[in-house]
Amino acid sequence: MRAGKFICIIIVIVILMLLPLVVRNPYYIHLLIMVGINAVLAMTFILMLRTGLISLGIAAFWGIGAYTSALLSENAGLPVWLCFPSAAIITGIVAIIVGAFLVKQGGFGFIIQTLAFGFIIVLIFGTFEVFGGHVGIVDIPRPEPILIPYVGSIEFSFISKTPYYYLMLFLVLLMTLTLTAFYTAWAGSAWRAIGLSAYLAESLGINLFRYRLLAFVIASTVAGLMGSFYAHYYVSLVPASFGPFKTIYVHVYAILGGINSPIMGPIIGSLIMTFVPEFLRVTEGVEPIFTGILIILLILFLPSGLLGLTRLWQGRGKPHEDAAQPSP
Amino acid sequence: MLEVKRLSKYFGGLAAVNELDLKVDQSEILGLIGPNGAGKTTFFNMVSGFFPPTSGQVFFKDRDISRFKAHDIAQLGIGRTFQSSTLFMKLSVLDNVLTGYHMSYRTGFLKRILHSPSARKEERRFREKALEILEFMGIGSLRNELAANLPHGYQRILGISMALATDPKLLLLDEPATGMNANETRTLISLIRQIQNRGITIILVEHDMKAVMDLSDRIVVLNFGKKIAEGLPSEIKENREVIEAYLGKEEEAPLDAA
Repeated sequence: MRAGKFICIIIVIVILMLLPLVVRNPYYIHLLIMVGINAVLAMTFILMLRTGLISLGIAAFWGIGAYTSALLSENAGLPVWLCFPSAAIITGIVAIIVGAFLVKQGGFGFIIQTLAFGFIIVLIFGTFEVFGGHVGIVDIPRPEPILIPYVGSIEFSFISKTPYYYLMLFLVLLMTLTLTAFYTAWAGSAWRAIGLSAYLAESLGINLFRYRLLAFVIASTVAGLMGSFYAHYYVSLVPASFGPFKTIYVHVYAILGGINSPIMGPIIGSLIMTFVPEFLRVTEGVEPIFTGILIILLILFLPSGLLGLTRLWQGRGKPHEDAAQPSP
Repeated sequence: MLEVKRLSKYFGGLAAVNELDLKVDQSEILGLIGPNGAGKTTFFNMVSGFFPPTSGQVFFKDRDISRFKAHDIAQLGIGRTFQSSTLFMKLSVLDNVLTGYHMSYRTGFLKRILHSPSARKEERRFREKALEILEFMGIGSLRNELAANLPHGYQRILGISMALATDPKLLLLDEPATGMNANETRTLISLIRQIQNRGITIILVEHDMKAVMDLSDRIVVLNFGKKIAEGLPSEIKENREVIEAYLGKEEEAPLDAA
């Protein structure tokens, strides 16, 4: 079972790596890159949800990563490859400070406070001159070319999106592995316990605040890294992209895919949510209506998402394994 | 072992626990009884750190723990069970107990994240210990069952097993025999005795009078948040005030009937 799963994952990765050879349209490559970013953001939503935290500030931390990285490369002249880890770490530090105040509240307070935080961040980006105000930041440097001996150099440019695609794949894989490591280790079982019964977890000696903060900080750091990638891929940032509206979309990706599958759910969900409206040729103005209806239908009829459906179909062989183990 | 001084808890104007003084000695079983709403569970919630007391102090091993958080108190060695079957319902019996080893990890953060050999070894050791507890409690064969699928009686037993996994010095049992038939209660009584024989001090809140009288070395009776009697089981049985509290005044029935 384990070996089979492992082989499946390897096959999927190989297919994803060969995809640019088949998909010639750069627009589709662009969509796939966005799928990767959105999927990882949705993973951070599930991570926090596991501990009972519903964050409406995911896009805000994504934005903090993006703006930090843009400023570091543009104003401080830091090489882009160093901007990625630096932006992630700075986002993580912001998350520790913000989280120390917000996580303590938990529950509804946390939802409203992260919502407020989401709006405040957009306002800060849009108001202060350092962040470029409403027009945002333009001409953000692209990653420096990678020189490979005897082969040549890999250029990151507007024309060829393929190098970005591979960078995205690498980041998604890295984040998947990192999150899986936490899920399968002691932290994962503590988070799971808190999510299932906070009182009982506390009575067994699990520090609610510490583990919620850990989830919050990891989620924000991961979002920050993806933000940094987004900044150097999109090369221009506007504040409005990082508002709570974006976070709602992130929630939908996760819920559509299935919140019981912390890795595969977000990937499936964001894949569908990115490509289906594209194929239906839904115009931008109508798209939120489509999404709104989808949210309502999902919560009414498919609360465990699409992957929950496959489990229902497989029968009730070992129900506790899928509910309990966060399977990648 | 545990000493409580003038402990009070007010919910609004209502005193759930009122100026309670209480002492529990090493390795004894203290029965805590009283009519519904007498403040027994509130008392547990204060000792285990879930409610901060309005006033008064809780001393555990001569240390004032009145303001400690629940997880800190668990780490000091006070375990508890809950009145309703509070379990991780979606997890297997074994995983429920394994969660109780959460604070026993000794390997470092990075080693645990990377699943290093020493971290794996530690996990295996906890697994063995958890299985030992399940065997001891007589539910070893149910280890892979979902907690939600257990009969009610076994769920109570699982709750105690989880508390035992935290290696408590003092165990607070909140109505462990609820929903058990006579047979199951008898098993439970012998289990609680064996837990006591392992050197664990126990405070027992229970409505099943036979179980309380059988098990307790001493009994404290609460009514409206106040202590109305304290003594050996045989003394409590004869205590007028206790009988009145349970059965109302001018009632001459013995307490065993309750």
